[in-house]
Amino acid sequence: MPQVLSDPATKSSYTTVKPTLDGRPDFISINDFSFFYGAKQALFDISMQIPERQVTAFIGPSGCGKSTLLRNLNRMNDLIDGIRHTGDIVINGHSIYDPHIEVISLRKRVGMVFQKSNPFPKSIYENVVYPLRIAGQNNKSILDETVERSLKGAALWEEAKDRLHESALSLSGGQMQRLCIARAIANRPEILLMDEPCSALDPIATVKVEELIQELKSEFTIVIVTHNMQQATRCSDKTAFFYLGKLIEFDDTQKIFSNPSAKQTEDYITGRFG
Amino acid sequence: MDSARHILTSFEAALDNLRKDVLMMSSLASRSLENARKGLFERDEDWCNTVIADDEEIDALEIQVDNEGMEIMLRFHPFASDLRNVIAAMKTSVNLERAADQCVGIARRVRKLIVHPQIPACSQIEPIFQLSTAVFNDAIKAYANGDLELARTLKSRDKELDELNRNFAETLTELMPQNPDHIRSFLELIFIARCLERIGDQAKNIAEDTIYAVSVKDIRHSN
Repeated sequence: MPQVLSDPATKSSYTTVKPTLDGRPDFISINDFSFFYGAKQALFDISMQIPERQVTAFIGPSGCGKSTLLRNLNRMNDLIDGIRHTGDIVINGHSIYDPHIEVISLRKRVGMVFQKSNPFPKSIYENVVYPLRIAGQNNKSILDETVERSLKGAALWEEAKDRLHESALSLSGGQMQRLCIARAIANRPEILLMDEPCSALDPIATVKVEELIQELKSEFTIVIVTHNMQQATRCSDKTAFFYLGKLIEFDDTQKIFSNPSAKQTEDYITGRFG
Repeated sequence: MDSARHILTSFEAALDNLRKDVLMMSSLASRSLENARKGLFERDEDWCNTVIADDEEIDALEIQVDNEGMEIMLRFHPFASDLRNVIAAMKTSVNLERAADQCVGIARRVRKLIVHPQIPACSQIEPIFQLSTAVFNDAIKAYANGDLELARTLKSRDKELDELNRNFAETLTELMPQNPDHIRSFLELIFIARCLERIGDQAKNIAEDTIYAVSVKDIRHSN
């Protein structure tokens, strides 16, 4: 029988999970995880514990494996031919590679926002309720409630409430990205993965998304891939630095950016790399 | 990975310029202290006037260092050791400017002192001058070379300087009733010693900022 990753009934098991250094439960536990695209190994023995309801940033040069790891957290990479992995990723006490896990169910629990906003050519309203519609939900009051909750959660409600049935493509770039965030949180996932969510946005839209990330972390565990180190310092509680597929350092963001332990991290963040 | 140079050459150049300006301030402040010493012991007003005139250049450099530090933070968003070095440079320049102000204070006092006949107590300030100069120059050396070992010695040496200054002030205060004609000179010497003690404080602050920049340890207000 398909297993839901985070059945509320299992929440009590948090207390039995090994705590991280700051006492929060290891919500996402990545254990000796290696990943291969065919013969090419992209990730090497990654082990890290991502705490619940905090923002964790993945940083590193292009090709270091940060997006690959992010995409493994909801098994997006399963769609690529020839991939394989060793090790395990455990979310809320359950392996995401457990044969009983249904991938669709996993992706409902682990939402994703991409670099480029990708609204569907539908109305704002239909974009938000799309995940519910494909799950068979057509109850108007539930859909209406979801639209309002999600758009408020994505800080878009005030701008969009009077034009819910207009095309999503009429929104600005920043609004489209926040609409995608609203769509990602419509199904109340526990984890939100963000792959360079602000790289195509102007500074004002970037600030809005960054503020939104701070608000969302009270409800969601957020993992963000970013090339913008100022953004990592502003938004994240923890930062992981990757290089050539290896996790070099994972620590509190303030520690990473003020006094990193590894020379490679220091060289990268101070721009003495390569 | 080559950790010696920044991949952004303009950033590397800006960091170099900032450091060079702080080192220039250090040299000028150190020279002012030496000139103030010559003014006192050679009883030569010209050295005192030089100290007062040179202060303008040090003040201008302090502003320049602040502007350069601000620009680096705005343009390059430094992290880790780069950020600590920029902060340490800006704080060190403030301490150097204050030390130079103390030199000006000494020079002004010396100009008043040397119009009076020389008194034997004048020679008693020499150990304070020597220690203050040594502590200040070592703080500059520690900053320039990132020398943690040397920087760590300065706190206790500053306390030694405080003690010398206290004893000197007590001795001169005791001498005053017996030498009422020289009270003005005694007071000038007490104020000069106080300026030298303050220079020790600035040197200790520079050492603390150096320790922070190099080792990330904040030892301010610790025993």
